[in-house]
Parts: sequence; C-alpha cells; structure tokens
Amino acid sequence: MPELTKKPTEYYFKAVKLNQLDDSLQQEIKLKCGVDVETCMECGKCSGGCSNTHIFDITPRQMIKLIKMGREEPLLSMDSLWTCVSCQLCVDRCPSRIDIPRVMDYLREKACQQGIKPTREQVKLFNELMLGSIMKTGRVEESLLAVKFNLKTGNYFKDADLGRQMFFKGKLKAFGPRVKNLKKIRQIFNDTIQKEG
Amino acid sequence: MTEMKTALVIGGGPAGLEAAIKIGQAGHKVILIERTGSLGGTLRKLYSSFPRWENPEDLVNYLAEQIRNSSLITTMTDTTVTAAKKSAQGYQVTLETNGGKSKEIKVGAVIIATGFELFDASAYGEYGYGIFDNIMNSLEFEALLKEWANNKEKISPPKTIAFFKCVGSRDRSKGMPYCSKICCMYTAKQAGLVKELFPQTKCYVFYMDYRAAGREYEEFVRSVIEQKHVRYVRGRPAKVMPEDGRLLIRAEDTLMGLPIEVTADMIVLAAAIIPSQGTREMASLFQTKIDQYGFIDYETNQPLKAGDRVFFAGACGFAVEILGAMEQGAAAAAEVLSLFNQEN
Repeated sequence: MPELTKKPTEYYFKAVKLNQLDDSLQQEIKLKCGVDVETCMECGKCSGGCSNTHIFDITPRQMIKLIKMGREEPLLSMDSLWTCVSCQLCVDRCPSRIDIPRVMDYLREKACQQGIKPTREQVKLFNELMLGSIMKTGRVEESLLAVKFNLKTGNYFKDADLGRQMFFKGKLKAFGPRVKNLKKIRQIFNDTIQKEG
Repeated sequence: MTEMKTALVIGGGPAGLEAAIKIGQAGHKVILIERTGSLGGTLRKLYSSFPRWENPEDLVNYLAEQIRNSSLITTMTDTTVTAAKKSAQGYQVTLETNGGKSKEIKVGAVIIATGFELFDASAYGEYGYGIFDNIMNSLEFEALLKEWANNKEKISPPKTIAFFKCVGSRDRSKGMPYCSKICCMYTAKQAGLVKELFPQTKCYVFYMDYRAAGREYEEFVRSVIEQKHVRYVRGRPAKVMPEDGRLLIRAEDTLMGLPIEVTADMIVLAAAIIPSQGTREMASLFQTKIDQYGFIDYETNQPLKAGDRVFFAGACGFAVEILGAMEQGAAAAAEVLSLFNQEN
C-alpha cells in the first residue's frame, strides 16, 4: 500500500459534486475499449474473486464506479494499475461480462502517455523488457528476461535458486525459443507503434 | 355439448388447484391432471411460507379437500398430456398414465399451470455446487429444514450457514438476465427459520439488492435482520474454497469496498427460477406464445391468455409467490368461465 498523502477525511468526507461530473471518460472507454460500464450492477463479484485485491488500493468495482463518475485522476494514479496481473478472473466472474483487464490496459497506456509515474516502477520495467523480448524473438526468453530484470533492479540473485532448479528439470532453456514467422510479429509491433505513436 | 364446457387444468400446484376449484364451484366440469403421484406441486416441498410463517401443508390440505368435495372435478395423478389436437371448439387431448395407459378426452378450454424448476447451479464452477459437500440449492435446503425440524434434538447444527442470492439470476454471462423475484423473500425466510431452530447458528446472506415489494414483505425481511439477527452482506460471492473441512467464501463488501472472507459449514444457493420441463412441453403441444426464456407469454391486454382457448397461471408464466399463483389460478378460471358463458 502506498503511503497516504492526504488526510483520511479528504478521501472519505469530501463531497463529490455529481452535477459537475460528465460522462466523457465513460464514453471514451466505450469507444476505445468497446466496454460499456453502464452494464455494471455493482455486485462486487469482480473484487471478491480478484487474485490481487488484498494489495489493491482501488478494487475493480470501485474502478468501474470511478469511470462512471468520470474521475480520471485517481484512476491514472492508482496503485492497482500496476498490481493487476491481468489474470482475467474478474471478467470471467462478471455477470455482465465487463472486460475489466481491457480497461486496465487502456488506463495503463493512458497513464504512460500522460507521463504519470507508475507507483511500481519495476512493473513497468518488467513489461518493457518482456515486450522487448517478444519483439526480438517472437517469444518470451524467460532466463534472459529474469537476468536482465535482476541486473536493472539490482536484485542480482532474485529467484536464482528457483532458476537453477528449473534449469536442471529442463524447464528453462539456455537458448530462447523463436517463432517461425518473426516478420509478422515485428509487423504487429510496427503497426501498433504507428497507430499509437 | 357438455364436453365442450369441460376445462382441462394441467398441473396440481397452488395455481392449478385454485383454478380447478373455482371452475368447479361455478358449475363446470374440470379434469385436473398432475404428473406426480400427489397434489400440491412445489408447495409440498416447502417447510414454511413467507411472509406469515405458515405451514404449506395446511394450504395443500385445504385445497385438496375442496377438490375432493367437488363432484365436478376429476383428478388424475401420475398422468401427463402427450398429444393435443385443435378442434373447432376446443381440443382433443391424449392423456397418458405412468402405467402406459392412454385416454382421449375432449375439452373446451385449457389452463396450463406447470410451474418452474431451478437453474442448475453447477454452471458456476466458482461456487462448487456438485463438487464440494454441503452446498445445495434452496429447494434441497427446504427439504433439509423439514428434516431438521422433525429431529431437532438429534441434529448437531452447522455453526455457520451462508446464503447466496442471485445464483443464475441477474446474470447475462452464465445465467438469466432477469430477477427471479421470490428468492429475496424465501432466502430471508430460510435464514430466519435456521435462527428459529438453532439460534446459535450464524447466518450470512449475500445480496446485491434485496427486493421486498409486496404486502408485509419489507417488514418480514427487516424482522429477520433485526429480530432474528441474520447478517446481510452486500456483495456477490466470487469464490468458494474448501478449507480444513469447511468452506471459505471470498467476496467484497461493496458498501465498504473491502475484500471479505467468511468460513461457513453450509452454503445455500438461491438458484434462478426457470420454466419447468413440463412447461416447455405444454407450450409446444398447445402452441402457446412463449417468451425468450421459455416462460409462457401472454397476449396483449390479456394477461393470462396464451393462445386460442389456452390460459396459464402460476410460475409457468414467470416466478411468482404462493398467493400470486393462486390469484392467477382464480383469474385464469374466470377467463375460462367467461368463455364458456359466451357460448351458451
């Protein structure tokens, strides 16, 4: 949990002026992600089943509610953005099949575009390294990824023992796998970069 | 032409019984058929009723006695309709008993009152229905309540029971998008009955909204919360896991926004109400209107008319409480009587 920067009263007892809010964020999510948060019944099944909800500052249900209320600022700076592991349990359980992981992705992109500092730098670093690996070989080269990540974060021996065990069981290859049609993978990356800038 | 002034009532639950009684009292012949061996329908499976904690058996006996006392009502149990042919002024219907004997009758009007069944809760892998022990749907729990009440001294009751509402209701992903209407009330009733039998047992009801629109309904639910001390938690449970021989439930308290866990010994799933197999069969035999879920649908401005000379009553049309089913039974009877009267 990140440290509270405001007094609790500022979080809980400050009145939100509903008639000053608009639905532009809700419309944006509908347009860009194809997700209609209006279908949310606020049952909380997403948050109850979420694999990481115990370390979330804002639960998935609250996130949907904040979108409905058009409150972008807490959404882009929330810790949950970086602790969500996209396990898809929320969308699987949702009685309205709201694709919350898709919305999470969109909000992460938006936060990055706006230069908002992630609350967990390492998560962003890991994602960058992982995508870099995919761009290079078409697959995640796990051993190399782990080594690179450890070098960048300074935790040189993190998971080293686990890696050793996996290596001897044949679960880790010294040379990473490659996909056959690497051109196509690169094309996907190029297209996306061109589209999103 | 007296055959054409005979009504066929299909289904011996509260709706069908009331319809048969009223038509009989008005002086017309009724053939009442019931698929199972005894009258009463779902009523027979219930331990108590809301909102007045009445014994459903008393109601079944009251209705069955009126049926027995009427010389105009012919009751046929263990009987189903296997064919129906439309004629100018009614239907030619084939009835078949469990023994395989079939019989053809002519009737002037039909009332379908074939009731409901419960949605199969095993569609929700996360709730573990059919996988873990002590997880049951509400009708199975009703039977258990009867058993508990009969052997109260010998039972060692569960320490904690959790009730999940909206299992298959209000779910356009794996279940039915509609609200099943009566689950809020019978869940409150069941939790209240547990506290009545075993005050030490803790009861948690997980709800999204509680819907208590009816005479004495709101007061009923409040009394269960306030006087019987059933704890209501707002949130739809997301996962059930076995833990040390008990059941661990994970959910969010959506009013606080906090993840919560409850360890229970038993879970009761208020499964959605769906059209029964019999309802689907009768709808197809008599070519009635049906809605997108298979419930018998009504014609514009005629709330109990499903087709030419075919009417319906009770939960074959949509989820309904006991009194509502009886009201519809009486109203469908009025439709039949009015039809017969016009043809004098």
